[in-house]
Amino acid sequence: MTAVEERSQGSPAASRAPLLRARNLVQEFPVRGAGGVKGGVVHAVSNVSFDVYPGETLGVVGETGSGKSTLARSVIQAPPPKSGEVEFQGSDLVKLRRGALKQARRQMQMVYQDPFGSLNPRWRIAELVEEPLIGYGEGNATTRKKRVDELLDLVGLDPSQYGKRRPHEISGGQCQRVAIARAIALDPALVICDEAVSSLDVLIQAQVLNLFEKLRRELNLSYLFIAHDLALVKQVSDRVAVMYLGQLAEIGPAEGMYRQPLHPYTAALLDSIPRIDPATGRANKPVALPGEPPSPVDPPSGCRFRTRCPRAQQTCADVEPQLVELLPGHQVACHFPLTIPENELPPRPAPASQAAPDPAIAGG
Amino acid sequence: MSTDWTSYPTGGSSVTSDVIDSSSPGGYRRPAAPGEPLLIVEDLRVQFTRGGRRINAVNGLSYEMVPGKMMAIIGESGSGKSVSTRALMGLLPPTATISGSIRFDGRELLGLDEAELRKVRGGDIAMVFQDPARSLNPTMKIGSQITEAVRAQSDLDKKGAHARAVELLRLVRLPAPERRFHEYPHQLSGGMRQRVMIAIALAGEPRLLIADEATTALDVTTQAQIMELLVELRERLGMAVIMISHDLGLAASYAEDVVVMYAGRAVEHAPVGTLFSNVRMPYTRALLGAIPALEREPHSLLPVTPGQPPDLSALPKGCPFRPRCSNATDKCVEHPPFLEHEPQHWWACWHPAGTELDTAPEVTAAMAPATAAEAAHHLEQEHPDHPADQRPAVNQPAVNQGVTR
Amino acid sequence: MAVADTPISVTDHPGLEHGHEEEPRRGKWRQSLGTWIPAGMIALILLACVFGPLVLPEPTGGSVLESNLPALSPGHLLGTDPNGNDILSRLLNGGRASLFIAAAVNVLGLVVGGTLGALSGYVGGAVDTTIMRLLDVLIAFPSLVLTLAVAQALGPSITNTILALAFFSIPAFARVARSAVLRLREMPFMAAAQISGTSTGRILFRHLAPNIAPQLITFGMLGMGIVIIIEGALSFLGLGVPDPAPSWGNMVATGQLSLSATPMLVVWPSLALLITVLSFNLLGENLRSRWSGR
Repeated sequence: MTAVEERSQGSPAASRAPLLRARNLVQEFPVRGAGGVKGGVVHAVSNVSFDVYPGETLGVVGETGSGKSTLARSVIQAPPPKSGEVEFQGSDLVKLRRGALKQARRQMQMVYQDPFGSLNPRWRIAELVEEPLIGYGEGNATTRKKRVDELLDLVGLDPSQYGKRRPHEISGGQCQRVAIARAIALDPALVICDEAVSSLDVLIQAQVLNLFEKLRRELNLSYLFIAHDLALVKQVSDRVAVMYLGQLAEIGPAEGMYRQPLHPYTAALLDSIPRIDPATGRANKPVALPGEPPSPVDPPSGCRFRTRCPRAQQTCADVEPQLVELLPGHQVACHFPLTIPENELPPRPAPASQAAPDPAIAGG
Repeated sequence: MSTDWTSYPTGGSSVTSDVIDSSSPGGYRRPAAPGEPLLIVEDLRVQFTRGGRRINAVNGLSYEMVPGKMMAIIGESGSGKSVSTRALMGLLPPTATISGSIRFDGRELLGLDEAELRKVRGGDIAMVFQDPARSLNPTMKIGSQITEAVRAQSDLDKKGAHARAVELLRLVRLPAPERRFHEYPHQLSGGMRQRVMIAIALAGEPRLLIADEATTALDVTTQAQIMELLVELRERLGMAVIMISHDLGLAASYAEDVVVMYAGRAVEHAPVGTLFSNVRMPYTRALLGAIPALEREPHSLLPVTPGQPPDLSALPKGCPFRPRCSNATDKCVEHPPFLEHEPQHWWACWHPAGTELDTAPEVTAAMAPATAAEAAHHLEQEHPDHPADQRPAVNQPAVNQGVTR
Repeated sequence: MAVADTPISVTDHPGLEHGHEEEPRRGKWRQSLGTWIPAGMIALILLACVFGPLVLPEPTGGSVLESNLPALSPGHLLGTDPNGNDILSRLLNGGRASLFIAAAVNVLGLVVGGTLGALSGYVGGAVDTTIMRLLDVLIAFPSLVLTLAVAQALGPSITNTILALAFFSIPAFARVARSAVLRLREMPFMAAAQISGTSTGRILFRHLAPNIAPQLITFGMLGMGIVIIIEGALSFLGLGVPDPAPSWGNMVATGQLSLSATPMLVVWPSLALLITVLSFNLLGENLRSRWSGR
């Protein structure tokens, strides 16, 4: 992926070396046959590469089956990817095991989607936040208690009130704050947020997002922010990566992606989002992307989006598009990106099975 | 990027309003006069006991619906939106205490016995739920699930039910309906399963369709497809639709009428244009402000509403939003009545935003829409490649100065 | 509950902000009663069987001169059996034996089976397959028949009975533990523990064990009832606790020989069995609903 190695203007830390370098990540899962489907392999992440620079937030957005959560787990090696490199602060995590991995990974933490599920229901809040400190042998009981109180304060929870409680005694938003406190306990450099606010109500979500932002500024954190909500991702990120069925479709500056999407899928995503115009009180009519997402067990050849793409050509089926930098810091993997106007596209063969959106794709 | 829909055979002519009425099984049915309310909910109250506590899930909800209208009920968790519609369908557990009135077509639904309710449910009123994976029986072929619904609502025999089921699958634009008839739910994608759910709901030719978070579990692209389908079905079949959601944006794009609920009550009710351009309830204003918008600057702080949703088993005196409201004053200890303060615009607040009673005008100003001209101007500047009507004409310049808490 | 609001949105549990639980109202009282009544009964039975025999005459070696005394005779609250043994004493000693066996079998099952199952589920892979297949072999045998065979081969004794019954209790607990662990393994907090650098041992003891313990304990409660009955059957067939030592099972066996003449010889141990097993079952059920309601 030489294009990625080129300078990325538009990110706030262009001149520094990346904090996280992911190259050619591949993750697959075997699928047990169910209801007549023979066992196969789910191609969850296929040859994905990206960088995260110190102090920046990289958003990863995609729909169900895009592989974004799997990507996050591959980065943190839980479980490790089938192949590829994950270079974090100089060490390739994929090559490390157990003790060495644990040390190398110390400055990388994760916040999960399910606020209650990510906290052991039988533990108390203070114990939960303390856990990483114990895991990495930080200080003694006294210093740890002090740190836990500090952390709880930092996330807006009064330690004297909340320290002794159990997860089921507090709300979802508060649980997520506890998870965040735990994640920053070791003063990490990178926090991976896997749909961390997706299960929260809108008003609570706003509170937690502001907390993320506040911590980012105070602790100079970098985030890998995974979500399915493009507006959400765009708001918190410096750069955004769009994934479709395990492939990286487009990656670039957040504002740039919104104003000028290069990949047809990104444009389709933007068009599907219902939005309100406060000036008139009207909202846009979202335009639906036709067709069904193909099966990740048997993805289409070449570009996986071609079965739903109105611009697809024969090339798209034959050759897998690579990421190419078309604008400063803005890369796209597409043979016919949106920079090429409709009328300049090669003529499409009449009802071709590969080129036209295929409505009869078996689902599931 | 529109696809050629006509490639899906729909058997269009068989599905007209005339044929719909003729196959109904001797139920109570008359075409509602235009303009006459189809559904009147009056002071609905629902209480449960859970873990020894009395939970007031719905506390005096009132609204009206006319035939063919598309209404959205918006609320967060605990607002009572789902509970109230389940009360409508008679799907609440027997331990729930329900009072008030729900009149459908002039007929009172509360207090009907199960047999009567069953005729209404799935017949005149149908519901589509959130999670098709759980609403569909995984061990039954989808065709059987639809024919089951069809036969429950009509006198068709097996063959006739099969034909009708396939017709319904076509109606919901499920590709290759004949083949899908014999498939199991797990062989279908989420969007397809939701179409099947809608087909089942349509089996009884409902005059009111309730979509309870029907697209929440779907991807945004699939959501757009399903919503398009619902809009199309509504126009073809003349159904009224109630959309229940937490997504204000969804309401703004598809609904004609919006009811915002909080703590078991309706707190604002207005036509969609009025609601979003003239927000009055501080709660609705807070919701609008908290939604991440594509137009916001990255790393901007959102205007934040402190606190948690109220405890439904111990509601505070007066306005339930008071502890979190930037407009709150001492007067709010007295519960504000839900009245039609402006034509077709109902709310329950002593200090509504945007009026002279607004006690936090700086918050309102921060949320205030840019004028239409300003918005159009911005649009030209920011999106030179796309014609104005293809990109949302939104700019919320003031949001960046939004109040942060 | 049929009316969960949007499952995707986590309800910000209203009312739990302040942490303290409200005083239990009617529902909670009923649940508490459901716990304390059977628990109390079990405690009573245990106390009686542990301390009773200390103050009562020996259950064996009675003189024929005192045979078949009626209930409420001096020194014999429930009378005596045809061999002159005090029935109450036999009952309580028999209870000692039965309860001891049941407890031993279940504790063995929980500790050995629970650990095996938990490890198997947690580690997965080849280890899991091996352990489970081995246990499958055990489960495949028809339990009662095998127990009888073992008892026949090794001779009736309390230890042999315990071993024979543990044969089945261990795989049963292992399965329960394994399925609990499989479910738990997927929970984000387990992954979070690993990412926090927590050692495997700590994960097993502090994360896994407390979350599978409730299921294992309730399974054990229900198991107590089952084992008592099986032991009763074994002893009834002469293969459990050997004569003349009493156990509820063999008391029923000998008693039924003279059922029409002296029905109480059967009634008392049967009643004891009934009450004990019922109490364990009720307690087990109640604990299960209590702990899974969380």
